[in-house]
Amino acid sequence: MTVLIGRRQILEAGLAAGALALLPRRANAADPLVVATFPGTWNEAHRDVLAPYFRKKTGAEVTQTIALATDQVAKLEASRGKPPFDVAIMDEGPLLDAVKAGVLEKYPVDKSPNYRDLVPAFQDPWGPKISLQVIGIGFNPRKIKERPKSWNDLFNPAYKGRVGLTALNSTLGMAFMVDLARTRGGGESDIEPAFKALKELLPGVGAISANLGAHAALFQQEQIDIAPYNFNFVQTLKEKGVDIEFATLDTGIPAWRTSLHLVKNAVQPDLAVQYIDAHIAPEVQEDMERTPYWVIPTNRKVPLKGEIVKQVAKSQDDLAKLRYFDWSKINERRSEWIERFNRDIKL
Amino acid sequence: MAEARRFDLDRLSFRLTIGGLAGIALFFLIFPTAIVLLTSFTSTQSLRFPPSGYSLRWYAALIDAYQMQQAALNSLKVAAASTVLCVLLGTAGALAIGRSTARWAKILDSLFMSPLLLPALAFGFAALIYFSLVGAPLSLPTLILGHVAVCVPFVLRTTIASLAQLDPALLDASLSLGAGQFFTFRRVTLPLIGRGIAAGAFLAFMASFDNVPVSLFLTDARTEVLPIHLWQIIDTNLDVRTAAASGVLIVLTILLMVGAERFAGLSKQLH
Amino acid sequence: MTAPAGSASEWRLLLPLGAFFVLFFAAPLIVLLLVSLSDGLALDRFTLAQYAKFLGDAFSLSILFDTLALGVKATLVCLIFGLPLAWVCVHAPARLRSLLLFLVILPILTSVVVRTFAWIVILGRQGILNKAAISLGLIDEPLRLLFSEVGVVMVLAQVQMPLMVLPLITTLQRIDPNLADASWALGAGHWRTFRRVILPLWLPGLVAGSILVFAACTTAFVTQTLIGGARLVYMPLYIYQQATGANNWPFAAAMSVLLMTSVLLVVYLLNMVGRTRSAVQHG
Repeated sequence: MTVLIGRRQILEAGLAAGALALLPRRANAADPLVVATFPGTWNEAHRDVLAPYFRKKTGAEVTQTIALATDQVAKLEASRGKPPFDVAIMDEGPLLDAVKAGVLEKYPVDKSPNYRDLVPAFQDPWGPKISLQVIGIGFNPRKIKERPKSWNDLFNPAYKGRVGLTALNSTLGMAFMVDLARTRGGGESDIEPAFKALKELLPGVGAISANLGAHAALFQQEQIDIAPYNFNFVQTLKEKGVDIEFATLDTGIPAWRTSLHLVKNAVQPDLAVQYIDAHIAPEVQEDMERTPYWVIPTNRKVPLKGEIVKQVAKSQDDLAKLRYFDWSKINERRSEWIERFNRDIKL
Repeated sequence: MAEARRFDLDRLSFRLTIGGLAGIALFFLIFPTAIVLLTSFTSTQSLRFPPSGYSLRWYAALIDAYQMQQAALNSLKVAAASTVLCVLLGTAGALAIGRSTARWAKILDSLFMSPLLLPALAFGFAALIYFSLVGAPLSLPTLILGHVAVCVPFVLRTTIASLAQLDPALLDASLSLGAGQFFTFRRVTLPLIGRGIAAGAFLAFMASFDNVPVSLFLTDARTEVLPIHLWQIIDTNLDVRTAAASGVLIVLTILLMVGAERFAGLSKQLH
Repeated sequence: MTAPAGSASEWRLLLPLGAFFVLFFAAPLIVLLLVSLSDGLALDRFTLAQYAKFLGDAFSLSILFDTLALGVKATLVCLIFGLPLAWVCVHAPARLRSLLLFLVILPILTSVVVRTFAWIVILGRQGILNKAAISLGLIDEPLRLLFSEVGVVMVLAQVQMPLMVLPLITTLQRIDPNLADASWALGAGHWRTFRRVILPLWLPGLVAGSILVFAACTTAFVTQTLIGGARLVYMPLYIYQQATGANNWPFAAAMSVLLMTSVLLVVYLLNMVGRTRSAVQHG
C-alpha cells in the first residue's frame, strides 16, 4: 500500500507542476528582461553591478545569455520574429554585420536621459558605446620575470610550450591577428604575415582556447603563462587569485569599442532601453571602474582613474589616440580567416 | 603439492587483478563527485583542490542566484510534465506490447526503444527544425514534447519488465470471478506493476531533468534549464557557485535515489 | 491471459504512444533527412550536395572518424574496468552488494554537467591528478590532460561506466554458477575458466554494454566540449556550431544523419559479433 500512496502523491504533484508548465504565459511586469552579455568580466560586471542598479530602478530582474557577438548575430538572424534576447552587446566588427542583417532597432535617444552625457565619440544612432576594450599581453609574473613589451615576446623560445592563443571567432582573437599583422607589415586587408608568424610559433604553443572562458581556465590551471588578453579580463582573474599581470604593447595599444543595442521586435523594448541607459549612467560606470572589472567609462562625468590611468590612458583624449581597426575591411574576409585558422593552426 | 601451489598462484593473480581493476573503477566512480562536494566548501574564489579554507559562502551565494533558480524551476516543471506524459503513454504502450509474444510486438518494442540508441543530439536538432517548420515557437511545451520522446523508453522498459513477471493466472482468476477488464486492470494489474512504473517514472524524471542534447536545441534564454545554464557558466567562467549548485544536485539525487529505492525497489528494476 | 493479438483494447492502448511517436519522433527525423537533402528550408530542390560537401572534405571526415574512434577507445576502457567491477558486484557478500549497486547507479542519475565539472577540477595542470602523479614520482612534468584526447577518453569512460556495468551484472547473474564449479572441478584454473567458460557466456552482456556506452560516448556533447576544450572538435560540437552558430541547417542536418547512420552501423556490427559468437557457442 505504501507503494500506491507514494506513487499517487508523486503523480498528483507531477500533474500540478506539469499543468503549470503547459499553461500559456503572458508577458507581465514580473517577467525578467533577457539580455545578452559577453563571457568573463562582462557577465560578472553586468550581474553584480548593472543588474542590481537596474532592479532598484525598475523592479525587474535580468536573465543573461552569454554569447560572443558573432553568435548573437547568428541567433538574432535565426529567429527574427521572436528574438531570444532583447538587448544585444556588440563589438565594432560584429556590429556592422548586425546592422547589415537588420536585426537591431535604432536607439531611441529621447528615451535615454544619460545618452547626452556620453563623450561624443561614443555616441551612435544604433546604440551607445558603453566601454572600450583594449588588449595586450597577459602573463604569469611568477614564471615570466621579464615584462613582455610586444607581440614578439610571444615568440621567445624561452617560453616554448607555455604560449596561449585563442580562436578567431572572438574579437580578442581577431584583433590580435590583425594587430600582429600590422606590426609585421600587413594590415586589415592582409594578415598573411600573421598567419606565417603563427605557423612558425605553432611548435611553441601550449594551448589554443576556443573561447574566453577556456582562456581563463588555461591561465588558472597554469597550462599557459603568456598570451594575448584583454585588459579587463586580466584584472578580473587577478582578483580571483590567479597569478597574472597585464603588459601594454610598445607598438601601441589596440582597442575597439563595445556597445549595447535594442533588438528588433524585442519583447520588452521599454525595459531594454532602460537597461541600456542604466549602463551609461555615471553611478554604474563609476562602480564598474574598479576592481575587479576596470571597465573603461564612456560617460563624460566619470573620470578615468586607477589601473586604467596606470596602464591604458590618462584622459579621455588619450583614449581617442589608441590603435583602432577598420572593421569593415576585416569583416569582408573574416569567415575565410576563421576557417583557415581552424584548419591550419592546430596543435 | 605442486598442483596446489599452481592453483594458489592462479587464483591469487586472478583475484588480485579483478579486485585491483574493480577497486580502481569504483574509486574513479566516486572520487570526482567527492571532489566536487569538497571543493564547493572552499572559502576562496578559485577551484583549486584541496581548498585553502572552508566556508559556506558559495551555498549562500546560491540564494541570490536568480537566474540559476529560474533555470532550476524550469527544469523541475519540464521534468514533472514530461514524466506525467511518459507514464501515461508508456504504461499504455507497455500494456499493449508487453503481454504479447507476437512478432509485431517485438518490432514495436525495438522501435519505441530506439531513442535510447540514436544520438539524442541529432534528434534534438531534428526537433528544432521540425518545430520551426510547423511554425511552433520554442517554449516549455515544445521542450516537454522533445523530452518525452527520449524519456518514454525508460518507462516502457521497466513496465514491460514488470509485466513479464506478472503471473497470468492472477488475471485469469480475477476475470473468471466475474470482474471486468477495466476492474481487473485497476485492482490487479496496476498494483502489481506499480513498482515497475514508479521506477520508470523516476528514471524518466531524472533523464529529463539532466537532459542536455535535446535541451541544447529546444531552449533559449527565455526557457533556460539548469544543465544548460550550468554548462554555459562552466564554459565561460570558472565560477565556484557551480560547485555549490553541483553539491546541491548531488545531495538531492542521493535523497531521491534512496526514496526511489524504498518505494520502487529501483536497483532491482535495473538489473 | 493475454488478449489475442490485434484485439481492439490493445490497439486502443497502443494508439497514444504510437501517435506520439509518429508525430514527435519519426516526423522530426524524416524532416531532418529531407532538410539534409535540400539547399535550404524551402525544401524545393533535392540534392546530395550537403553530403558531398561533408564526405569530400578531409577536415570534416577527420572529425567523424575522430568521433567514432573516441567512442571505441572509451568503450574499451569501460570494458577493461567494467568487467572486473561487475564481477565484484555479483560475487560480493549480500550487504556489500546493495551498497556497490547504489554506487554504480548513482552516477547515471547525477547530471552529466556536474560529473564532467568535477573532472575539470581534477585534471588541470595543478590539479590533484597531476600533483599526485608527480609526488609519486610517476612523471616529472605535469601532463596535459585537460583539453587533450586522453583526458576526454578518461572522463568519458568514467561518466559512462555505469551503462557498461549494469548490463554486465544482469547477464553475469544469469550464468549458471555450476558451470564455473564444474570447470574448476575438472582442473581448469581461474583464468582458464574465465576465458573459456565465463566470457563466452557473458558475451551478450558485453555486447549490450558496449552498444550503450559507444552510443553515449559519440554523442556526449558536454563532456567533449568541457574536457576537450572545444579545440578538439567532434561531431556533436561541429553539428551544434553549424546549426546554431552558422545557421547552416542543411549541412548540419546532413552531418546529423551521417552521425546517426555511423553509430547505428557500429551498433549493428556489435550485434552481429554477439550473435555469431553465441551461434558458434551453441550450435
